[in-house]
Amino acid sequence: MAIAAIGKYEFAPADAIEKFHGAQLLYIGWEDHLLFCAPFAFPFPPTMPFGAIVEQVLPGSFGYHPDFARIDWEKAEWFKSGKPWQPDFSKSLADNGLKHKDVIRFRTPGLTGIAGSGS
Amino acid sequence: MDMQVAKKKLGLKEKYQVMTRGLDWEPSYQKKEDIYPYASYEGIKIHDWDKWEDPFRLTMDAYWKYQAEKERKLYAIIDAYAQNNGHLGVTDARYINTVKLFLTGVSPLEYMAHRGFAHAGRAFPGAGPRVACLMQSLDEIRHAQTQIHALSNYNKHYNGLHDFRHMHDRVWYLSVPKSFFDDAVTAGPFEFLVSIGFSFEYVLTNLLFVPFVSGAAYNGDMGTMTFGFSAQSDEARHMTLGLEVIKFILEQDPDNLPIVQRWIDKWTWRGYRVLTLVAMMMDYMLPKRTMSWKEAWEVYFEENGGALFKDLARYGIKMPKCAETIALEKDHLSHQAWGTFYNYGAAAAFHTWVPEKEEMDWLSAKYPESFDKYYRPRLEFWREQAAKGNRFYNKTLPMLCQTCQIPMLFTEPGDPTKICYREVDYQGTKYHFCSDHCKEIFEHEPEKYVQSWLPVHQIYQGNCFPEGTDPTAEGFDPLAAVLQYYHLEFGRDNLDFEGSEDQKNFDAWRGQATKNV
Amino acid sequence: MHIDLRTVSIKPLRHTFDHVARRIGGDKPASRYQEGTFDLQATDNFHYRPTWDPQHEIFDASRSAIRMADWYAFKDPRQFYYGAYTLARAKQQDTAESNFDFVESRGLAADLPVELRDTVLKLLVPLRHVAWGANMNNAAICAYGYGTAFTQPCIYQSMDQLGIAQYLTRVGLLLGDVEVLDDAKAAWMSDDAWQGLRRYVEDSFVVKDPFELYVAQNVALDGLLYPLVFEAIVDDVLAAKGGTAVAMLTQFMTDWYGETKKWVDATVKTAAAESAANKAQLEKWIAHWRDRAAVALLPVARIALADGADAALEDVVQQFNTRLAKAGVAL
Repeated sequence: MAIAAIGKYEFAPADAIEKFHGAQLLYIGWEDHLLFCAPFAFPFPPTMPFGAIVEQVLPGSFGYHPDFARIDWEKAEWFKSGKPWQPDFSKSLADNGLKHKDVIRFRTPGLTGIAGSGS
Repeated sequence: MDMQVAKKKLGLKEKYQVMTRGLDWEPSYQKKEDIYPYASYEGIKIHDWDKWEDPFRLTMDAYWKYQAEKERKLYAIIDAYAQNNGHLGVTDARYINTVKLFLTGVSPLEYMAHRGFAHAGRAFPGAGPRVACLMQSLDEIRHAQTQIHALSNYNKHYNGLHDFRHMHDRVWYLSVPKSFFDDAVTAGPFEFLVSIGFSFEYVLTNLLFVPFVSGAAYNGDMGTMTFGFSAQSDEARHMTLGLEVIKFILEQDPDNLPIVQRWIDKWTWRGYRVLTLVAMMMDYMLPKRTMSWKEAWEVYFEENGGALFKDLARYGIKMPKCAETIALEKDHLSHQAWGTFYNYGAAAAFHTWVPEKEEMDWLSAKYPESFDKYYRPRLEFWREQAAKGNRFYNKTLPMLCQTCQIPMLFTEPGDPTKICYREVDYQGTKYHFCSDHCKEIFEHEPEKYVQSWLPVHQIYQGNCFPEGTDPTAEGFDPLAAVLQYYHLEFGRDNLDFEGSEDQKNFDAWRGQATKNV
Repeated sequence: MHIDLRTVSIKPLRHTFDHVARRIGGDKPASRYQEGTFDLQATDNFHYRPTWDPQHEIFDASRSAIRMADWYAFKDPRQFYYGAYTLARAKQQDTAESNFDFVESRGLAADLPVELRDTVLKLLVPLRHVAWGANMNNAAICAYGYGTAFTQPCIYQSMDQLGIAQYLTRVGLLLGDVEVLDDAKAAWMSDDAWQGLRRYVEDSFVVKDPFELYVAQNVALDGLLYPLVFEAIVDDVLAAKGGTAVAMLTQFMTDWYGETKKWVDATVKTAAAESAANKAQLEKWIAHWRDRAAVALLPVARIALADGADAALEDVVQQFNTRLAKAGVAL
């Protein structure tokens, strides 16, 4: 349904990829760890290898949680837009098929937050 | 000669009509659509503006008289409160953080309401609603100003209120109320009246004002209580206007029903999302609690709103669908919200803390289904860590909902362990939402919501640094730059309540006032 | 007498809000007018464009041809914030009330000479529609203008004009009957005497530039109408003919205009002093609308003054020019 307006009502999206100085947005959530209140937003170059995120970025963002140190990345399950998905750690984001504003999440089986509460 | 004899005396209603719509006329030198260019594009059909029933009948002389009397009283009390250092009478200094939230988040909206109603009060071709809107416009600038004047004294003594207008347009969590009102004002005049006059003033006001005002009263903040009381007495008029608008539109044309229903659905949800801040205020920020958010929702929306929607059913209006979702969220909302502010306590213009033990007990009594199971472990972990000097500050920016602009903190309806993710592809780009309702709102008017000024994205675009910042410079600290852009002083306005300047000053001053020499 | 009170003395952290302090300095408390005015309007980071005007932001200085480096350069000399405003009006309405009472309780309306009464009804009652137009126009200026210092007084002005329309209605009801209102409306709609003025008002309804509208309404039209009708005609001419009672009934308008004028002058002066471009724009607008207003008012003045109308109007225009010259606008 189109918006009711007087005259033309079309504006460039506020978050078009061009505005991010070469980066694109990627949202990452860690299931069962709501101690982190919401998924994170990151601006990454599309050329960045996926593994670099896991190794260099996530520890800074999720490392506070005692579970983080216990993650077995081999076992981690990944989802993209809610669907199961398998990243290639060695490939770039672009080559992993990640686009601007894609959202991915990971589950770490066996790790379910503080005292198993999902926090 | 005595002319009285021949005279007809006008009844109250006719007199008011003569004094308002009687002043209007059908223009002939300019086309009506040129004089009222915004009257028709929303698709609302009005056949006869004269069917408008005036919701109240205050001529200007009476208005001046009564409002002046109210103002005189209000300012006498504000003066007295300031003179007497009334702020030292509040329960404890944590309370003051609710005031900060109010001034930065709500007072600017009062001002927006003032301008919005001036616009609506110019835009309607009907003289009746025009006058009613203008009078509300005048009331709303009153609300903005009395709030500022009443809280001015807090600003003199505590931090975080010092640049409330500047912050309102910039700080991440304040984009939630700001975008709410921007949304209403940028809609057409009819939708504006339904959104603010009906959904907000009538349906949700109690959930915003009453908790604040009674929280203030209960915590000894007489200044806030008084401006609250004083504003509420205007609200009575605004609510009547909101109700009359709905009745009028619905009676005018059956085609209006689906439009109004959609607006009510949309604005109930939009308003409810803004109340997230109120929910956490009630459950976490008031040292003395009045009632829980959940109870408030049940009393004010489910019971009272229920009665209202029962009345409206005669017109064919249905209870908004989102009410079901809200019912599922009510056990969780405040806890998830407070957790978010605890996460981002370094970027908020007020202080956060972990509730005390008795406070947690109160929470588990009020939320037997959810608190102990989901939220107590989280809070207790944070408390332990803080005691070890490892207070949790989340430094990574969160993902936001495209519509309500709140971080994606809400969980799946019915499953409090899973974040609720919704997305839409629009013109080749992805947009993300916190809920079905925010998603539907976007889908109805994507042209509007693609414009959203989402604070996190704006930061990543480099738009939230002070002018002249060079993000590529050596040792550039983005968080520091953002706080500077916010006019938020690190270590003074933000971080934990424990150890804050507010806490120290309050304790020292209170001691001076009640201890013996 | 001597006194030495000791009370709990607390040193405040700051005297006022930072945005106010940036304007007036942070070393002293700000007045309620200042705290209730400065920077209240949002200027940045609007989320959506208005669906009713997608070319502009919600608040957008470019709606007007007048350009200001800082729209908070305007200052209302009355320093009206809502509280001060209502208190002032409450006092005035109290006087008005007691004047109406006085005229009514002592049956002075009945004592008016019949021709005088007719003239008064013919002249004053249709003016309620003019005040109603002013109410709409000031609402528009408030809604679409920029910066609280400029827009805030307009909502007060708007409601004042509604009040004036209501007082004029009461004058009609006191001197005549409900029919008086119908007659006046009929005159307003079709008598030749009023058509120029009605056209002026309707034309002003479609003026889009809020500052031009300010000029058309508050500067030009009110600037000629009030001195002409309430000062020259009612207070001077009619009162001398036994119409003291009428002057009592319009005291509100006279006093109100005397006070409001100061604000209008200050506003024009500030805008004109800002830049040569503003000044030129204002001169053009004011001259244009003044001339239109003068033409429109002449037949109205004739209702009461007959042949004396031209001279009276000329006088009023003369005073108007002098007044605006003082405000920095040469006409």
